[in-house]
Amino acid sequence: MLAVKSAVDATATHKPLVSVVKVQKTYFARQAPVQAVASASLDVARGEFVSLLGPSGCGKSTLLMMIAGLEQPTGGSILLSGDEIKKPRRDIGVIFQDATLLPWKSAIENVLFPVRILKLPIEAYRQRAQELLHMVGLSGFEHKKPAQLSGGMRQRVSICRALIHDPDILLMDEPFSALDAITRDQMNVALSEILETYKKTVIFVTHSIREAAFLSDRVLVMGGRPSTITLDMKMPFQRPRRFEIEETAEFAKVCRKLRLTIEEAHNSPPPAQNPAVETRAGTIGGGPQ
Amino acid sequence: MTSTRLASTGMGTETGAIIAVPASSREAGLTGLRSTALPLGLAAIVLAGWQLAVTLGNVPAVILPSPISIAKYIVERYDILLMHAVPTTLESAAGFVLATLLGVALAIIITYSEIAREALYPNLVFFQLIPKIALAPLFIIWLGIGSQSRIAFAVFIAFFPVVISTTAGFASVDKGMLRLCRALTASEWQIFTSVRFPAALPYIFSGMKIAITLAIIGVIIGEFITAQAGLGYLIIFATARADTEISMAAIVVLCVCGLLLYGLVALGESFANRFYSADNQ
Repeated sequence: MLAVKSAVDATATHKPLVSVVKVQKTYFARQAPVQAVASASLDVARGEFVSLLGPSGCGKSTLLMMIAGLEQPTGGSILLSGDEIKKPRRDIGVIFQDATLLPWKSAIENVLFPVRILKLPIEAYRQRAQELLHMVGLSGFEHKKPAQLSGGMRQRVSICRALIHDPDILLMDEPFSALDAITRDQMNVALSEILETYKKTVIFVTHSIREAAFLSDRVLVMGGRPSTITLDMKMPFQRPRRFEIEETAEFAKVCRKLRLTIEEAHNSPPPAQNPAVETRAGTIGGGPQ
Repeated sequence: MTSTRLASTGMGTETGAIIAVPASSREAGLTGLRSTALPLGLAAIVLAGWQLAVTLGNVPAVILPSPISIAKYIVERYDILLMHAVPTTLESAAGFVLATLLGVALAIIITYSEIAREALYPNLVFFQLIPKIALAPLFIIWLGIGSQSRIAFAVFIAFFPVVISTTAGFASVDKGMLRLCRALTASEWQIFTSVRFPAALPYIFSGMKIAITLAIIGVIIGEFITAQAGLGYLIIFATARADTEISMAAIVVLCVCGLLLYGLVALGESFANRFYSADNQ
């Protein structure tokens, strides 16, 4: 199998928080089954920031949605502290590509939305919501509705919403890919600052090499047809990270290595001629994201 | 009939919105003035022309009474008109409320049950093709000559637009929002109350606005067929006696009642907008 066993296993002193074991996902479409994920295995330690990096259609979002419990794997298992994840859990927070705010609720009410859903005491969390909005630079915008906020501001509200009930794990599905490049850079810095304050275990899906390298402790490259994890690489940068690290030669070297791995996987021969990859009838690489 | 109404209402608001877009505040003021002055002016001209034609052309009052004589009748006999306006308005309101409840309930069933959707929806659309007015006499047979048969008939012709627009409203919910709710382990009931229903409110109100006018039509038709009171009864009664002036006066009062009921729905909508609008207050 191409799946690379996590490098953390050797170094981590305790058990991984999240374990993905030989997970596969096949969509049974009308014409032919579509295999989105062939076999993926990974471990994430508590407090770690891990990125899943790969081109569109490589199944990385599908894998993330399975970890979120929003989709069921067709093979393998996903464990959180040893328990199998079968449905969504309140200790996992998810941030999607779109901010998906309630348009009729103010920013702070949107941040408090999970508190209402989880039937926690609203007033006890109002203070925390204020703090979170302050942290992401949205003081003074608490009572604005989403239509009056920019795309970056809306996504910051959605990050606050994911943090409000203090889940252990944050799953982020290309959260900044709908933003312009400048806003995106700002959001990357803002996110790493937030995570210095609110320590979280993060699994972050992106197709931006620089974003993955800047934010992560570890980058897993997904690719190939059908897709697997083809590289597991530690990011050798100190924290806290500032934007300057993107200008270092080391950063360029890391990005180059990641890019080459992605291209390699992308140009690999079709599964039938690749002995390392299991073949199945009707298998098509890639799949719905 | 309903579907053309639906379409034309939509078109109307759209064009209205396009015309109403102001370029500057001064222009906005002028546009505001124009949008009141123009229709009022036109109505005044038509009424004056009517008055003039009736007076100069010596048109008998049986064929067409003059606007002034109609107004005079309304002022002098407002007690009779009011007496007949009350049952019509109350029955219309009752029919409308029941049609709304039935429409929303059916929309919920259609939204949440695939089997119900597949079984119900084609039948509802087919049902809509029946010229429903033709069924009015049957309601008298089934439910008698009391107000229940008129209310039932009003519900019968008014609930359809509520079902259609509410179903569309429930389906209009952002899929990402539903996924977020599932990720937060929200129950179906929580999703309905906090996301689906508020998102559908504008659709529900547009259905209700059509339903209220249809409910009034339903009650009037019922009153045409059988009633001892009500504006529809008054119109039929006066016309039979060739008392066109009373008929016309009753129609004017009917318009006022219709406006009143429609206004209440619009008021409810703007109240809901205070909580469920995307604009800041």
